[in-house]
Amino acid sequence: TSISTTHFDLKTYWSTLIAEIDDKLDEAIQVQYPNQIYEAMRYSVLAQGAKRAPPVMCVAACELLGGDRRAAFPTACALEMVHAASLIHDDLPCMDDDPSRRGRPSNHTIYGTDMAILAGDALFPLGFQHIVSHTPSSLVPEDRLLRVIAEIARAVGSTGMAAGQFLDLEGGPNSVEFVLEKKYGEMGECSAVCGGLIAGATDDEIERLRKYGRAVGVLYQVVDDVLEEKMRSEDEKGKKGGKSYVRVYGVEKAMEVAEDLRARAKTELDSFEKYGERLLPLYSFVDYAADRSFSLGG
Amino acid sequence: ESQSSSSTSTFDFKSYVLEKASSVNTALDSVISLQSPKTIHDSMRYSLLAGGKRVRPMLCLAACELVGGDQSVAMPCACAVEMIHTMSLVHDDLPCMDNDDLRRGKPTNHKVFGENVAVLAGDALLALAFEHIATKTKNVSSDRVVRAIVELAKCIGAEGLVAGQVVDICSEGDSSVGLEQLEYIHVHKTAVLLEGSVVLGAIVGGGCDEDVEKLRKFARCIGLLFQVVDDILDVTKSSEELGKTAGKDLVADKTTYPKLIGIEKSREFAKKLNMEAQEQLVGFDVDKAAPLVALANYIAYRDN
Repeated sequence: TSISTTHFDLKTYWSTLIAEIDDKLDEAIQVQYPNQIYEAMRYSVLAQGAKRAPPVMCVAACELLGGDRRAAFPTACALEMVHAASLIHDDLPCMDDDPSRRGRPSNHTIYGTDMAILAGDALFPLGFQHIVSHTPSSLVPEDRLLRVIAEIARAVGSTGMAAGQFLDLEGGPNSVEFVLEKKYGEMGECSAVCGGLIAGATDDEIERLRKYGRAVGVLYQVVDDVLEEKMRSEDEKGKKGGKSYVRVYGVEKAMEVAEDLRARAKTELDSFEKYGERLLPLYSFVDYAADRSFSLGG
Repeated sequence: ESQSSSSTSTFDFKSYVLEKASSVNTALDSVISLQSPKTIHDSMRYSLLAGGKRVRPMLCLAACELVGGDQSVAMPCACAVEMIHTMSLVHDDLPCMDNDDLRRGKPTNHKVFGENVAVLAGDALLALAFEHIATKTKNVSSDRVVRAIVELAKCIGAEGLVAGQVVDICSEGDSSVGLEQLEYIHVHKTAVLLEGSVVLGAIVGGGCDEDVEKLRKFARCIGLLFQVVDDILDVTKSSEELGKTAGKDLVADKTTYPKLIGIEKSREFAKKLNMEAQEQLVGFDVDKAAPLVALANYIAYRDN
């Protein structure tokens, strides 16, 4: 198709959005009494070099459907807040027991387990509050906001990311697909769907964005697992805990799955071709998830 | 005990409480079905259906009815505030926090399901509260539902329950904690969610801004009252009567009202708060205000 041959500078599009989102997150969480909790929240949400993939997908989906990106920013920030909250809780000693995240000490290592739990507990509601208080009411009617809030709550809840984390900890090796879908696919799905909801997408469009986002979220993680496994074989180090698709099925099978996901994600975008160039960010996003052709952040 | 003022003499508070608690319990029971993964949903149900007094949902329903709304429009909010209350207890009881083994006379959530499940069940209850209000509130305009959601979010986060718990943790073992800090802890740990419960009910019930603010003040007073009475009971009652570890606040060297100002002054303070609360209800329909008047008196004079 014409889309696949058009060159699009995803790196510039993405980096520009990262800078804007970082500024808005910085503004959204200002330190006040009691300082410790705000510092703990900021530590994880404003981590240097964060790729902001969920917010970027949300903004891109909104723009695809002709929505104004200013309408999507508050939800994009909220996605990052709830994402940070679940990562903080996933790293806890009673969970994955991860002392580090993105190359720096994890939240509880710095602020203590009690503050880390509370920082997560505060970030979830802050996300919802942020959507309502910052979304321009002239751009997004309230009933859409309610659908966005319900979508995010469902994604992080007991049948979404919390379920994924639970099976990651307690499930057997055959639960690896479920964990991938829930722990990683859910965030991608939710991000794309929320962007669509804000722009007033039709039900059919929402369903396509749902499948697209889920495929890209899982793809991203499978490729992460493959890259990690390649590093691992070099110096035998690896992240503790967590179910890796690669370690259960091997690199070759994982690469096959990744190609299949790439194709599936693009198929979901077919019906959006009428939107022309506005489709390019979401389209290029798929290839980035699969190929990692450039690096982002610092 | 000056239990009854003229307006409550004909009001049967006991039946009212039983009736509301029963409709709330029915509603809560149907919210979380046993889906997969079963353990998380078991854990959520274990704490949510552990038989609390449902004070918060009751406040929410009573406020809704006071401003002229039907109970059914506030039921999703009523369930949500109980979910938030429950999740905060589940997380506060964890070993890295207050390290409590007993809650409402039963082993705490992490004792039964493990710490990891307790953290996740708490997170899931928090999310469910918002999802439930957003999707299940019927016959209320979207702008009112959105306002209710912001109110609830503020109650929980770094301006609400979390702030109270943070300051509480940081002042543990600190003998220099003064009245102001103690009040900050109680207002945030207890009063804000009681306030939120009342305000949510008034908003979805269709109350005007003035009514919502009066009810907010009412709730703020009874929220603090709840804690002052709790502190008094903690010194004067045994574990068995309370169904939790009594005197724990004193053992952990926590500051309490009786420790700071003595039992007598604490009792006087409780009386003052109750009066101030009830003053906010003047001007509302007397019959419709009766449940809240009785509830304030119940909180003031309860013995467990």
